[in-house]
Amino acid sequence: MANDTIFNANDQRPELEPVGYETGSLTGVFQELVFTVDHKKLGLMYIGSALLFFVVAGLLASLMRIQLAIPGNTFLPPDVFNQSFTMHGTTMVFLVGMPMAFGFANYLVPLMIGARDMAFPRLNAFGFWVFFFSGFLLYFSYIGAPGLYAAGSAPDVGWFAYSPLTSSAFSRGHSTDYWTLSLMLGGIGSVATAINILVTVFCLRCPGMTLGKLPVFVWCMLVMAFLVILAVPCLSACQIMITLDRYLGAKFFDTQAGGDAVLWQHFFWIFGHPEVYILIMPAFAITSEIIPVFSRKPIFGYPVMVAAVISIAFISLGVWAHHMFCVGMVSLANAFFVTSTLLVAIPTGIKIFNWLATMHGGKLRFELPLIFCIAFLFQFLIAGLTGVMLAVAPFDWQLSDSYFVVAHFHYILIGGLLFTIFAGIYYWYPKALGKMPHFKLGLYHFAFFTIGFHLTFLPQHFLGFLGMPRRIYTYQAERGWDEWNLISTIGVAFQAVGIVFFVANLIYSFRRGKKAGDDPWDAWSLEWTTTSPPPEYNFATLPVVKSRRPLWDAKHPDDPDWKHE
Amino acid sequence: MNAAPAPSSADWKLPSPRKLGIISLIVAESALFTIFVVAYLFYINKSLSGPLPKDVLEFPLLSSLALFSSSATIFIAEKFLRVGKRAGFLLWWGLTIALGLYFLYCTGREWSHLIVEKDLTICTNVFGTTFYSLVGLHAFHVIVGVLLLAGIWISSLHNALLTGHVEHVESISYYWHFVDCIWIIVLTVVYVLSVQATP
Amino acid sequence: MNNEPRNPHKVEIPQPTGWPIISAFGLTLGFAGLVTNLAITIIGVGVCIAGLVGWFLDVFPRPKHIHVPVSEPPGPQRSARSIEYLKIGERGHRMRLPVEVPPLMAGVKGGIAGAIVMAALACLWGHLKYNSIWFPVNLLSAAAVSSLAEAGASSLSQFNTTGLVVAIISHGAISIMIGLLYITLLPMLPANFQWFWGGIMTPLIWSGFLFATIRFVDPTLAQHVDWPWFIGCQIAFGMVCGYIVFKEGKVETMQSLSLAARLGIEAPEKNQ
Repeated sequence: MANDTIFNANDQRPELEPVGYETGSLTGVFQELVFTVDHKKLGLMYIGSALLFFVVAGLLASLMRIQLAIPGNTFLPPDVFNQSFTMHGTTMVFLVGMPMAFGFANYLVPLMIGARDMAFPRLNAFGFWVFFFSGFLLYFSYIGAPGLYAAGSAPDVGWFAYSPLTSSAFSRGHSTDYWTLSLMLGGIGSVATAINILVTVFCLRCPGMTLGKLPVFVWCMLVMAFLVILAVPCLSACQIMITLDRYLGAKFFDTQAGGDAVLWQHFFWIFGHPEVYILIMPAFAITSEIIPVFSRKPIFGYPVMVAAVISIAFISLGVWAHHMFCVGMVSLANAFFVTSTLLVAIPTGIKIFNWLATMHGGKLRFELPLIFCIAFLFQFLIAGLTGVMLAVAPFDWQLSDSYFVVAHFHYILIGGLLFTIFAGIYYWYPKALGKMPHFKLGLYHFAFFTIGFHLTFLPQHFLGFLGMPRRIYTYQAERGWDEWNLISTIGVAFQAVGIVFFVANLIYSFRRGKKAGDDPWDAWSLEWTTTSPPPEYNFATLPVVKSRRPLWDAKHPDDPDWKHE
Repeated sequence: MNAAPAPSSADWKLPSPRKLGIISLIVAESALFTIFVVAYLFYINKSLSGPLPKDVLEFPLLSSLALFSSSATIFIAEKFLRVGKRAGFLLWWGLTIALGLYFLYCTGREWSHLIVEKDLTICTNVFGTTFYSLVGLHAFHVIVGVLLLAGIWISSLHNALLTGHVEHVESISYYWHFVDCIWIIVLTVVYVLSVQATP
Repeated sequence: MNNEPRNPHKVEIPQPTGWPIISAFGLTLGFAGLVTNLAITIIGVGVCIAGLVGWFLDVFPRPKHIHVPVSEPPGPQRSARSIEYLKIGERGHRMRLPVEVPPLMAGVKGGIAGAIVMAALACLWGHLKYNSIWFPVNLLSAAAVSSLAEAGASSLSQFNTTGLVVAIISHGAISIMIGLLYITLLPMLPANFQWFWGGIMTPLIWSGFLFATIRFVDPTLAQHVDWPWFIGCQIAFGMVCGYIVFKEGKVETMQSLSLAARLGIEAPEKNQ
């Protein structure tokens, strides 16, 4: 071999000029969206599509509530009802909750750590499109699954698809396959995005941004990414197993051949419980940014907050079987999972107290983001307390799979997560779009949605105590359930009005909103140092960070934070 | 701490994105494998009908040796890469690919033997189900690994590698070592534990 | 990224590309074929491979970049607001911590002294009512000693060695713990009328708590207890314990110092 050097010295790189899009026209916008690898556009696309799926899943929920408004209703046939709750749950978890988290992480993490983009921008685009298409595949089941002989339907096995319901004997046609395959596909995208977030946080921080100076938001997203990397492959493994069962006749969950249906529950919840914490992490992240800024105080107990998030993540890996107290595990297992579940209350309690301590003595500004965050604190507290109740096995034996459980996790996912998502959207709306959200419209949104939320879900606690099981499509009169169900359905109407105000606010503010300026809330983290909306390259010069509140340092050169930290 | 020194960008060191990325991928894959390994362990001796591991499995000595030694050859190839010797790199990297392919060949022969002669398919019993899915999942990873290795080998053959690509090569070798480590576990669980546990 | 010049005129950003969406679409078709028609899977895999190859050529040998001209925005403005610091103790300061607390030993001493006074009063009650100073001792230990729990009033009046040991241990332990609770609680109570809070209110709250729960903890005690005397004993304990804790004086806590100072790494800085 003439030349035994391995590296090609002829290392020229071509200079490429910006691709010219037709700006302003619809095709131009479309081109831009399809080809972009920019983390900000992808982040907004994540949030936008998550909102789209949110509306769809919300409509499904409204249909179910209409069906349950009065006893013996015939609004929805039972099979459609089953499809509705399955699609509602699956959509909310996989096509709303997780993409929403990814959207916020995508948009904000690089800005907050002073980076120009995510670590793998093309992988980022790939992750988004996989999620987006997987959503379409899931919803295509309404059209595609009935097939030639109308054997299938949209998935109707519940979002945790317990075996043996999913075996080909009980789920004819391709309905379950749509659920399995689209979520497996989405799982690939989720893991890709999570790896991207994790690597971005560790490898692209701007000079001075040590791990101890990361905003709590970034810490929460880091922990979320870590949980996704650990948990989602477990779900994919489960789904590979039922796909093998259904397509190749494998025996994983075939009890006739020695398979074990309870194993599915274990495997699913090994994924499913960390998933719950994946979903709530954005709530922690957003609240930890908003409360300090609108209380005019740095966050109380930064190291403890970070430690709490990390310990929540670790504990969450060992609590899965508290979803399964009713299957009859040995009492040692019950005791273990009760204890580990109760342990979660400690770091969670620490977080709530620290948020309160941040607000205590602060100069509160009751802008939209803070209002939603305060509602979050109350509702998340209630959700946490019912969670502690359900963690106790004997209590769970009474109320498992009742409406009490439904109320509990809706208080977490709506009262906890969704409220902070609203807060986050209002908080970063000026950054992303350069316009201030309209305060009055936002207030109406808050009022209607909060009233509607409590009207809908508070009575469901009582329904649970009165013995109403979840996932029933109708019920007889005179069981004491009638009034509560009716109130619950009326609440949905209020929530819908709230959502209308929300969407109206987004559109109105985009058209007519006041110009925001770079730093409308007088905040402290790096995303507010750049223009609104930020340029493609985020920062003209990469920032150098000396404290946890870099923008405070810049705005108060006479008394910067790093003198005190 | 009164004076926080302004960090200059020169001494601001961060981990390499590619390596961390591949390590995260390995963590994710480990989670995937964990579930399948647990399923295999859980279903030992739960088959209602034969054949059982003891009846049909033979310890795959040669193919295991091939796969384990491929970890060594890839390590040597990397040494050549760091000093920039192309011929040595091509030779040892190529040897790694050959060992990987030999492993796949052995797996294929074992499977055809099991299916045709021993009448064990994925739907025969829970042993067949867990065996084929676990070993098949690992084989799938070997295939992906061999494709990645081949990609590097071909680029190097066309003299297209740049100095900046050392990290890419290293991260692919991480992946290959991971595939090897998984085989240690699969080998222990499938060919030792389950064979001995069969009554 | 690290060796970038401080003030670039142009910034490198990744070139927009369609290959990721093509790969994603191919992958989706690959999955979709399984529920529709295998032909779609084959097309999907083909599209996906084409996408991956295109992607590979995008990043190999060098990731394709475009350059974007940079306009330097005006940096963050110096805030118009000035900063004032709240002082410790000032209204609104979150550090409403006790700056000084009674020492730990004061709690132990107070607990023991209170315990002795309380025990003496209880024995006096036993002597007056049942003519036996062992009666209250046995009542207390009945929570743990089953033979005493089942005994009648006459045998409860007899001396019982186990009862005495158990009673001393439990009474002592609880008293010391409450003494320790006092040193934490007392500095946080309103500065005026400390004797009232520590000597009367706390024993009353504690008695109320016991009133509600004693049936489950020690049914024998609940059966024979004389509440006015009982509360009197509690108040005596509170008065004595509170007095001793108060008399012992206070030591400075380090709560207002920085973490490093508390760990002893740095010398504490005096607050101005």
